[in-house]
Amino acid sequence: MNWDWEKLQKQQQGRPGGKPPSFDDFQDQLDKLKKFKLPGWKLVIPLLILLWIASGFYIVEPDEVGVVKQFGKFNRITTAGPNYHIPYPVESALTPKVTQIRRVEFGFRSVGRPITQSFQQGVSREVKEESLMLTGDENIVSVQFIVQYMIKDAENYLFNVNDPEQTLAHAGEAAMREVIGNGKIDDALTTGKQEIQVQTRDLMQRILDDYKTGLSVVAVQMQNVHPPDEVIEAFKDVASAREDKSRYINEAEAYQRDILPKARGEASRITNAAQAYKEAKVRKAEGDAARFLSVLKEYDKAKDITRDRLYLEAMETILSNPDTEKLIMSDDALKQSIPYLPLDKQPRSAAPKEAK
Amino acid sequence: MKKTTILLAIVVILGAFVLTSAAFTVDQTQQAIVIQLGRPVGDRALGPGLHFKLPLVQTVVFFDARILDFDAKPEEITTTDKKYMNVDSYTKWRITDPLTFYTKVRTIQGARARLDDIVRSQLRVALGRYTLIEVVSHKRQEIMDAVTKRSRELLLPYGIEVLDVRIKRTDLPAENARSIFGRMKAERERQAKQYRSEGQEASAKIKANADKERTIILADANKQAEIIRGEGDALATKVYATALGQNPDFYEFTRSLEAYKQGFAKNTRFILTPKSPFLKHLQ
Repeated sequence: MNWDWEKLQKQQQGRPGGKPPSFDDFQDQLDKLKKFKLPGWKLVIPLLILLWIASGFYIVEPDEVGVVKQFGKFNRITTAGPNYHIPYPVESALTPKVTQIRRVEFGFRSVGRPITQSFQQGVSREVKEESLMLTGDENIVSVQFIVQYMIKDAENYLFNVNDPEQTLAHAGEAAMREVIGNGKIDDALTTGKQEIQVQTRDLMQRILDDYKTGLSVVAVQMQNVHPPDEVIEAFKDVASAREDKSRYINEAEAYQRDILPKARGEASRITNAAQAYKEAKVRKAEGDAARFLSVLKEYDKAKDITRDRLYLEAMETILSNPDTEKLIMSDDALKQSIPYLPLDKQPRSAAPKEAK
Repeated sequence: MKKTTILLAIVVILGAFVLTSAAFTVDQTQQAIVIQLGRPVGDRALGPGLHFKLPLVQTVVFFDARILDFDAKPEEITTTDKKYMNVDSYTKWRITDPLTFYTKVRTIQGARARLDDIVRSQLRVALGRYTLIEVVSHKRQEIMDAVTKRSRELLLPYGIEVLDVRIKRTDLPAENARSIFGRMKAERERQAKQYRSEGQEASAKIKANADKERTIILADANKQAEIIRGEGDALATKVYATALGQNPDFYEFTRSLEAYKQGFAKNTRFILTPKSPFLKHLQ
């Protein structure tokens, strides 16, 4: 290196002389340039070797796992943190994300977002050729669902199946259709959802394990299950018919609850009125009897005079009525004018007679 | 000195060339066979790792060692109950014998053509034996197992192993779907009608029952009332009889007077003769 410096300095010292560069100078410089390469080699080769060695460093993030291949053959799994492999072409490393839970949609597509990310509820588009499926009772139902999955075996995931994600999508469709095909439409629409999800997940897992995809199905979740658009109105009508049924029954029960207490009230009124009648009747009888007996007691003491008094009082009451017409005539006159009734044959009374 | 350097350089470069053209790596996802002048060398495929070959005279052919996918086009199939259905299936397969594979079908495309032929016809044969609903539900697994087994046997001579033939979709042609929709609709309408008339039935029963109960309650009450009234009348009669029996004559007299007072209260004309006891003091 030293000599290089010297030459450079020499050249620079010569320059201030103001002489234009001659051919000799040019030749000189060319030589220098040729020689200049030598220190470059010495610098670059170790640097390249250093870089090559350094290229073996790689970092495995916490959500990843490192998979090292040696001459293309799987060699080892490394864990999170800084790691080293023998540089290319001997070894190479892959770092799949194994803790990340991915998501794939069946029967619909979320609008405006990548499939693997969380989606906005309600902003989706149905994919009918995926969602419509036959049920075991020969009906058609539209099922939209998602599958969450993750990598459980990085080695299998990377090396065993051509396209694990595509395989999962196929398996998911096949599994859900098989499970739905084994059940009835009402299971899918109402209470059987949980069971269907579990069965589908198990079936998917079994298929994926058969293929050694290295994938693990975390969950199968049905998003939107409904009858096909063509028949949805009829299904809704069944629901409202069921409501109607209970409404009719409720109305009838309301009627029942309205009239029966009223009837019982009425019944109680009727019996109480009868009771009242009875009591009143008895009491009146008792009263009348007591009165009669009291009067009878006094009557027994003075029979004739009481009898006369009562008779006169009665006549007085009768005749004092201004509406009553009174006529006094002798027996003879009576015989001459009208047919008569023998008034005097009444033994005790004053023989008042109606002659109207 | 200079000569030896140049010689060394030549040897190194030549060595490197030989080495690079002789050595090759097979990836974990691959398998390979070595071809020498058009003929496979050795009787086994090469697995992943570092391998060597003779430069120039030998070449390497790589094959995928992974499970491969063959997604057949949906196909219309007739079931034994003469229904049509579109069956969409996929096949998982693998090259298990690259030597045979290379000599018989050579490429993946060639393999796909074989798979298409065999799997398709096997599916057609198997599905033709079952009814539509069997295909859709409980016989599905059985059918898939049978097709897988048969296809595996038929494709083994090609160096191909069929792992799984799986029915992905079983759809109905549009016109059949329409008739199913029609039936579904009719079924639901029937169900809705049934619910409503059941409701009306229950409602009528409840109302009629309530009316009946009301009538009985009121009749019972009236009956009870008559009994009570009768009791009252009887008791009163007894009381009257006991009291009045003490002097029937006097009762008759006082009661008659009472009756006259009441009876002659209105529109009455009296004709009295002077002989009347009432008028005896008038004489």
